[in-house]
Amino acid sequence: MTTRTSLVLSAAPPALSPGGYVARAYADHVTPTTAQAELATSSEAGTWTIALSWHAPRAVRALDGDPARFVDAAALLVPATEAAQAMTMGTPADPVEGVLWRADAERPLRIAARGWGTVERQAAPPQWTAEARWKDGFWYVTFRLGGWTVLDRFRRLAVAVWQGAARERAGLKSVTPQWIRLS
Amino acid sequence: MVLDLNKCLGCQTCTIACKKLWNRDAGTAYAYWNSVETQPGEGYPRRWEETGGRTATGEVKRGEVPGIDEGYGRAWTFNHQQVRTEIGSGVRKPWLRPDAPPTWGPNWDEDHGAGEHPGTNHYFYLPRLCNHCTHPACLDACPRRAISKRGEDGIVLVDQDRCHGYRFCVEACPYKKVFFDPERGVATKCIFCLPRIEEGVAPACARQCPGRLRFVGYLDDPEGPIWKLVERWKVALPLHPEYGLGPNVFYVPPVGPVAFDGAGRLVEDEPRIPDALLERLFGPRVHEALRVVRDERARRRRGEASELMDLLIAYDWNASFRLPTGTREVL
Repeated sequence: MTTRTSLVLSAAPPALSPGGYVARAYADHVTPTTAQAELATSSEAGTWTIALSWHAPRAVRALDGDPARFVDAAALLVPATEAAQAMTMGTPADPVEGVLWRADAERPLRIAARGWGTVERQAAPPQWTAEARWKDGFWYVTFRLGGWTVLDRFRRLAVAVWQGAARERAGLKSVTPQWIRLS
Repeated sequence: MVLDLNKCLGCQTCTIACKKLWNRDAGTAYAYWNSVETQPGEGYPRRWEETGGRTATGEVKRGEVPGIDEGYGRAWTFNHQQVRTEIGSGVRKPWLRPDAPPTWGPNWDEDHGAGEHPGTNHYFYLPRLCNHCTHPACLDACPRRAISKRGEDGIVLVDQDRCHGYRFCVEACPYKKVFFDPERGVATKCIFCLPRIEEGVAPACARQCPGRLRFVGYLDDPEGPIWKLVERWKVALPLHPEYGLGPNVFYVPPVGPVAFDGAGRLVEDEPRIPDALLERLFGPRVHEALRVVRDERARRRRGEASELMDLLIAYDWNASFRLPTGTREVL
């Protein structure tokens, strides 16, 4: 059975960003670029299918050799412990895991974090895929994620969306502030 | 490092020495860790002086990431293959030319300068590299903590394994001397020729400089050229000190020629390089620095001794570089 949910996204608070620059220079980044997203989830035979879509008036698929260009991206975050928090990207004691789709990458990346600024990336397992298409101003990204034990166990996830055209990256993103419980 | 701008030829030997040594992958084709720009001019990247830095009260200003076309200029490619294959083949000798008409790039405004010829025209060369600031904006800017400043020598480095290519460092650096490699997705910057420094050898830009205008050493070494030029003689000044980052590259400002009047006569008390330009680049202390250089030049002309002139002339080039030797553990 597929469950569909409309998500209200917030701007991730720049104040949480480590270092002295982003928190001050982007203190005004309080309005989410992506205010809403649609989520459809289903699970079958140990594989989750998670479809995410959002309004992206200008798709940015590649850097094209331009240092000032940022690509579109989206991530699903999952708690790795019962107490892990999405907004803090976890803590050293309560980490989080996730999957990252970037518009310029063929394969998704597996991510893990123990707090803001601690994200580690690695190649996703072969049973993880992300198919994306952009049509009429919307991105449609479908993740297929097999063998993700923490998602099976905690059945919660959070969403982050980066719009490259708005120069979003790192903590400059639109997020679901709380875990979304999956049925 | 101290650079004596009175000796810079604008030959770009430093630029090429650096580029050949360090910027050899495709993603850094556009990047120049060391560049030489004509002042006044738009510089590299274009209009780099207009954003970033800190306010007078230390508040950080949001900078910008320059674009490839309008900011840096794409690396030009040339018809090398055509020239190689056609030369000597009997067909008309081919010209080497860019594959597409260039519209902007490093050193684009070379020798343009400002003013009216012959009365007030002026320019000088400003070599620039990472300033390895005491309070680096790039380090503050990185949410990944991928940038560090080495305690032993102050060299500012990027850990490219930690870097996720967010480019806050690029936008925060008001000198625009952190670059982004779009092929590898990581930040790149001058490492002050770290492997050479660890062997007691000055950076390539300094060793290759035919004008011998670069001095390398430590600011707290009273026997070294840097301390003498910055602290003792106070003739070497940081670039844009008002940015508030504590840059550790210093410049002996250019003692420009005097202006001509409408009849072509020298106007002895009017410098052709406007004071305002030098003050904008090097701060209000520039006037005192120029006075000291002029005074010591006059002393030397009178046949009197001048430690400052002897140092700046670099009779003994090795004295321009004072680094501890062989500090690296060779495995």
